[in-house]
Amino acid sequence: MGISSLARTTNRVIRPQIQFADLSQQGEISQLGMWVFITTETLFFGALIFTYFLYRIFYSHAFDIAAKDAVLWCGSVNIGIIMTSSLTMILAINAVADGRRRAMICWLIATAFLGLCFLGVKGYEYYIDVGDHVVPAVDYVFKPGEGPQGELFWVFYWVGTGLHAIHMSIGVGLILYMLLWRIRGGEITSDYYAPLEVVGLYWSFVDAVWLFLFPSIYLVGRS
Amino acid sequence: MKTASDRDPNLLFIIAWLVLVLLTGLSIWTAFLGLGIYAPIVEFGIAATQASILFVLFMRLKGPPSLKWIFAGSGFFWLMFLYGLSFTDYASRRGWPML
Repeated sequence: MGISSLARTTNRVIRPQIQFADLSQQGEISQLGMWVFITTETLFFGALIFTYFLYRIFYSHAFDIAAKDAVLWCGSVNIGIIMTSSLTMILAINAVADGRRRAMICWLIATAFLGLCFLGVKGYEYYIDVGDHVVPAVDYVFKPGEGPQGELFWVFYWVGTGLHAIHMSIGVGLILYMLLWRIRGGEITSDYYAPLEVVGLYWSFVDAVWLFLFPSIYLVGRS
Repeated sequence: MKTASDRDPNLLFIIAWLVLVLLTGLSIWTAFLGLGIYAPIVEFGIAATQASILFVLFMRLKGPPSLKWIFAGSGFFWLMFLYGLSFTDYASRRGWPML
């Protein structure tokens, strides 16, 4: 199945669900629903980052030493990838708003590809981390002067990046769902593209989480 | 003369993306400057600026429906409650390293 078959326009008429007056109202409510979900996610990741702040304040010396094993180039490449993916996602939404169906599909494929690249780099980084013996409770080797609290940094690392990677995988799945079902079925058009906007909100939120994980993990104790 | 509606809608987002990349570069650079206890303040300040750009532009907080601001603001509001009350607890304990 190529882009051409996905990009083929259909004459399907989209009607609002029975509880909505029109598609515009349906779209607005969909967006607000995603914002409610993002609010809960903000508290979810916020609590995690709060714990990090506390530990970093209390055990700053141990964190400075422990964090030196974090692979800066992997984190830096990934922040570039994820920010670019937010751009391609918004370009896809702008394209469908303009009625450029083929461009929307191309930008969405690029976004999913960048998401997979992010996960690939993350996987490689995990491979390096395992080799560096920084897996708490399984295989952890303390560095000289680190102290037992250094292990807490790596607990945060695995929990934070693991949860983020799960969110990222869900995001890639949502884009593929959009491409293979909703767009292919003619349900996303220039008249109604709220489902794609909702996925875009989720995607950019996952990007925002990485913006905070990046300095928490990769920039600690560098100077 | 070009009107606002004639402008390429993607241009704003491309500029915003460039700003995000530049801010990331700035964040990495400051990590090596030896700013001491101010380093996390600067780095998280840059992250918060980047997140604001993302929320306002890429997540379209700018524009209708304005009710979005209440939903997005409530997340921030409750997060500040979580941070404020929890930090008050820890800061009032003995052994707080910054006091």
